[in-house]
Amino acid sequence: MTHIKAIIADDEKQLRVHLKSLLFDLWPDLIICGEAGNGQEALELIEKNRPDIAFLDIKMPGLSGMEVSKRIAGLCWVVFITAYDKYAVEAFENEAIDYLLKPITHKRLERAVRRLQKQIAASIKPPSDMTEVVERAIARLYKKGKPGYLRWLRAQHGDGIRLIPVDEVCYFKASDKYTLVMNYPAAELRGIKRNFHLTPMQSIEEFF
Amino acid sequence: MGTVTETKIPIINRRKTLTYLFYTVVFNTIIAIFLTSVKFGDGLVKNFIFSQCIGISICSCILIGLYLVKPKRHLIELFVIITAMIVGSVIGALLGSIATGIHPSIFLQYGFAIRPVILGLLFGSIISYFFISRERISATEAIIQEEKIRRLSIEKKIAENNLRLLQAQIEPHFLFNTLSNIMSLLETDLEKAKSMLVDLIHYLRTSLSKTRNKTTTIDQEMEMIRAYLNIFKIRMGDRLRYNIDIPDTIKDFPFPPMLVQPLVENAIKHGLEPKIEGGELSIRGKEKGDILQLEITDTGMGFHGGEDIGVGLSNVRERLQSLYGDKGHLILEENRPSGLKAIIEIPYDAY
Repeated sequence: MTHIKAIIADDEKQLRVHLKSLLFDLWPDLIICGEAGNGQEALELIEKNRPDIAFLDIKMPGLSGMEVSKRIAGLCWVVFITAYDKYAVEAFENEAIDYLLKPITHKRLERAVRRLQKQIAASIKPPSDMTEVVERAIARLYKKGKPGYLRWLRAQHGDGIRLIPVDEVCYFKASDKYTLVMNYPAAELRGIKRNFHLTPMQSIEEFF
Repeated sequence: MGTVTETKIPIINRRKTLTYLFYTVVFNTIIAIFLTSVKFGDGLVKNFIFSQCIGISICSCILIGLYLVKPKRHLIELFVIITAMIVGSVIGALLGSIATGIHPSIFLQYGFAIRPVILGLLFGSIISYFFISRERISATEAIIQEEKIRRLSIEKKIAENNLRLLQAQIEPHFLFNTLSNIMSLLETDLEKAKSMLVDLIHYLRTSLSKTRNKTTTIDQEMEMIRAYLNIFKIRMGDRLRYNIDIPDTIKDFPFPPMLVQPLVENAIKHGLEPKIEGGELSIRGKEKGDILQLEITDTGMGFHGGEDIGVGLSNVRERLQSLYGDKGHLILEENRPSGLKAIIEIPYDAY
């Protein structure tokens, strides 16, 4: 049997070091063939080195671990790592996808390792389409901030761009090429006229 | 107390009516026994029958009277009750005489006619007084109860707010990631692990105790922010650079606790952490006449709307509003060339 290869992707270096040393204890034969500090790097590493296993932190700059997993489905086994998104990763509970909660414990990692070893020994292929299950997990992860209405306006003020919460807007006023935003309390209460110009990318339809 | 007297004309409903009738029967019995014991009337049985008839009749008349008139003022209520007592006594006495076999014509004689009315008024007043004061007491109790509920719900809201603040400070992602780092450093770099733990303790201790204190100083607040940023410095390595610049003149200025932290957290969470190459965070304080300004600038991802970015910000806004009214501001601007700039403005003259 050829050696099993794995990559580790986490934006915090110290955590990669930690996982590596834990893995060395539990699975000395496992070769860590690459480390990635962001999602993009992880994707490139997987495509280049073709590891058998990818340990992916969920929250990474660039691409999230979930996004990466969607794109590399079928190429390797994925183990997600997360500090807190327990509810999201529970979506994987009955799937062939494992996850680890930070701080990663020896005991829990051992279970994940044994499971991987069993799957690989039995020549089971990693799931080739993860879109549906990952979408489900993402939906759980971001359910609070779902579609919703526009909440912030980008408006020109002086030579800068200000961000104005929609609930502070008193009224809009059409003025030549621009739409003026009168906001509270800056405009009305202080008696100072502060006019904000909507930038062109912000069309008025977005409010309603 | 105005509200108590104005609103408390007894409300009539079925349950109350039954209670009134029950008490009336009890009182009637007591009255019958009392009258017999003072040798009034013609023996216990007749006294009992008369007293029940008159009592129940008075009670019914009062209830019917109040139901029909629905008095809004106490004088009218009193008038209704007295009238009902007189009418009730007469009707009750007639009923009683029928029940005991005495010919009702006896009441046409002067002495007999007036007797049940006087007795009815006498005992009726005592009992009515009993009922009314009972009604008043329960009304007052209801108001006290309401007040209690109101106070408890305010307390609950405060507690919830504190909890929210608390939860914001010890955001689970932050806590678990930090602990995870410490755990790993324990194996590779003991000194670093120790200093990270010290920073975490410092941050937790000050931020937790601060939810209770109303004010702190800018310096103390920055001390805590430094501990918080040190933790991120270890976690993010070269991806995070930060500097804090507070002139000595404003160091001891009183400042509300946990106002800057959500902005710093935002800058890291939504600005720098998601950016592959990371960036810089700077906090600058300055006085501008009667305004004190704190600027938190990052060179991160900047603003792309939506997300939960607004929650922390609106908390800060609300707190500024409640502390300083329209003199406290949170201004958000896009930073150039990238990132976000949050400016807190509070009145400086308060010092």
